[in-house]
Amino acid sequence: MTPEQLEKLESIERVREGYAELGYICSRQIATAIYVAGHLGKPVLVEGPAGVGKTELANTTAAYLDLPLIRLQCYEGLDESKALYEWRYAKQLLYTQILRDKLGEVLGEAQGIKESMDRLHAHADVFFSERFLAPRPLLKALREPGGAVLLIDEVDKSDHEFEAFLLEILSEFQVSIPELGTIKAERRPVVFLTSNNTREMSDALKRRCLHLYVPFPDARLEREIIQARIPEIPRNLKYQLVSFVQQVRELDLKKHPSVSESIDWARVLLLLHADELEADMVRETLNVFLKFEEDIQSVDADLYGFTRQAKKADGARA
Amino acid sequence: MERTFTNFLSALRGADIRVSVAETLDAMETARLMGWSDRQSLHDALAMALAKTPEEKTGFTRIFDEFFAFESFHDRRDGEETEENEQADGGDLLAKLEAGDRAALALAMQEAAVEVGVENIRFFTQRGLYTQRVLQQMGVEGVDAQIQAMGGQGGGGSAGQALQESRAWLFEQVRNYVEQQLSLQGAATSQELREDRLRRSRLGNLDRRDREQMRRIVEKICRRLVALHSRRRKMKNRGQLDIRRTMRRNYGNDGVLFELEWKKRKLDRPRVMAICDVSGSVASVARFLLQFLYELHELLHDIRSFAFSGYLIEVSEHFKDNIADEAADKVMQKVGYMPTDYGESLTNFRESFLADVDRNTTIIFLGDARSNNTDPRAEYLKEMHERCKRLIWLNPEPPPLWGTGDSEMRRYRPYCDLLRECNTLNHLERVVNDLLETAQRAA
Repeated sequence: MTPEQLEKLESIERVREGYAELGYICSRQIATAIYVAGHLGKPVLVEGPAGVGKTELANTTAAYLDLPLIRLQCYEGLDESKALYEWRYAKQLLYTQILRDKLGEVLGEAQGIKESMDRLHAHADVFFSERFLAPRPLLKALREPGGAVLLIDEVDKSDHEFEAFLLEILSEFQVSIPELGTIKAERRPVVFLTSNNTREMSDALKRRCLHLYVPFPDARLEREIIQARIPEIPRNLKYQLVSFVQQVRELDLKKHPSVSESIDWARVLLLLHADELEADMVRETLNVFLKFEEDIQSVDADLYGFTRQAKKADGARA
Repeated sequence: MERTFTNFLSALRGADIRVSVAETLDAMETARLMGWSDRQSLHDALAMALAKTPEEKTGFTRIFDEFFAFESFHDRRDGEETEENEQADGGDLLAKLEAGDRAALALAMQEAAVEVGVENIRFFTQRGLYTQRVLQQMGVEGVDAQIQAMGGQGGGGSAGQALQESRAWLFEQVRNYVEQQLSLQGAATSQELREDRLRRSRLGNLDRRDREQMRRIVEKICRRLVALHSRRRKMKNRGQLDIRRTMRRNYGNDGVLFELEWKKRKLDRPRVMAICDVSGSVASVARFLLQFLYELHELLHDIRSFAFSGYLIEVSEHFKDNIADEAADKVMQKVGYMPTDYGESLTNFRESFLADVDRNTTIIFLGDARSNNTDPRAEYLKEMHERCKRLIWLNPEPPPLWGTGDSEMRRYRPYCDLLRECNTLNHLERVVNDLLETAQRAA
């Protein structure tokens, strides 16, 4: 970390304000996590339901610290050749072909196989040099001279093998490439791992990370988030909308509306020039934040009750 | 401070929060960074370093509140009185009691507790012992002698009365403190005892509150089962240049190697089909078996599960969308508690799902093979056995009962690659070990 970056992380309050300026409203826990992670140089494992801003957290951190964001999307079957590095075989072969003519010069007047081999050996390492190395996200993050924010997204989707492979990087910030040796991070990247909890991460991985659980925000925080994202939203609408969404999250649904979806919904309502929640309008726009037919139906059943409740929540404040 | 910290960690461990050595170091560093002044920030930061699931976070908050509520008092008075207390003797204690200086007494008590090693308390029955020891360390004999002396002087008077009351109060305090330590520290040991008991007790007898614990053990077992499958895949997962095929392919280019051929990876995906009996005869263990299935679903991608009693249905969907208990409830609602009909169930399976069984499929059958004297249709099991890679049967009944009464185990037995009794977690673990061994021999 450079002094300027450390200064930006000097206190939890400072972090909160800085992030708020960038349009990311974080709870106290999140700010503490960034503060601690920044100072201790530990990776942060961020868990929580989909759409609470886990990925956005890494984006904002990159913007705040003025570092490049390097992102690795995990999926089943991801292996080190896609995550770490790969040799450019085709290029290597092409070079051997092109340089075939030069072989004569290299070998010169060498006598016998042994001498020729020795001469060739002197040049052998050329082909396994950085020139033919195709760095993938993890290696890129380690070699970034000014440091970077590394986002390993949805790590729960990867296999157990890949998870084990991450361990060296997460604890030592280095990787071993057999042909080149160990590459150490010049400057430790700020690492975020996100997980949607589709499976439990191994203890070994958890042990190396700070663990941050991001739940759905409470009503106040969500209002702040919407305010930050859509400053022009009428106050009434904001209160009612958040109250409505919070009620929907209480239901047993296949998929609960995420924060990003409630922002989308707010945008839609604004586009329709709504000043207040009206049951009919809500019904027509349910599909903005509910993505399953069953969910829409079960919310539809309680629609009037929710809308009334939402309006009351606002009335109580005003 | 370090001692306080270690005590805190062992209290956490007692509350089921797994804290490794590396995490201990992290936590200490975190605490140093955050300082001890802001309670909430310290709590948040430590929670991040130590508690790594939502459940653990809840437990952490509870222990944090309990533990540091008392300790904060200690910190405030630290420097001033330590020296004095080192030479704690009866007279000192007497003076404090008479003065009614509760803060000083509490401090003295803590010092004495550390001397005696109260943090070693593990069992309920040690309460009295440790209370006495702490009192002695504080120099209670001196006070007792004083009380006696006062009593001896005839009646004692109000001073003696007051002193006696103070002593009783002190006793109360010390015992409270010891009990608090017991609740913090004792849990750690009883945890181990509990795990051991769980592993040995019959699955049908397990309590609801043991579920979480059981889930963890089952998860451990399942993980090993999955590792067995993935080993082969790992070997194939490496991309490698296939020189021979590359050369052959490039003959057309005058031997210039333009197009590359890779050694094809053969993804050897394990496919598991689990078939679980949930009828009345196995009702006591059915929940456990479903739990086992649920864990397998968490770990394996290509798994389908089926439940049956009178007939058979596929239940994979329930396991995907629900948490463990709900999933089990739903399955039980649908097919549970009916009289078993193995023949009918096997017929159902053969009609609808046999086509999906291939050489990569492992079939796990969980049931007691008690078919209420209906036709067992063993030939269908034979067909399944022939098509699949391996058929594993786990029977909750002990071997002597197999084949007695309406049990058809003997007729099914030939078609099982592996047949084991399975009604405790230890059994389950042994099964997994057997599996590992046979797989290694085959490899």
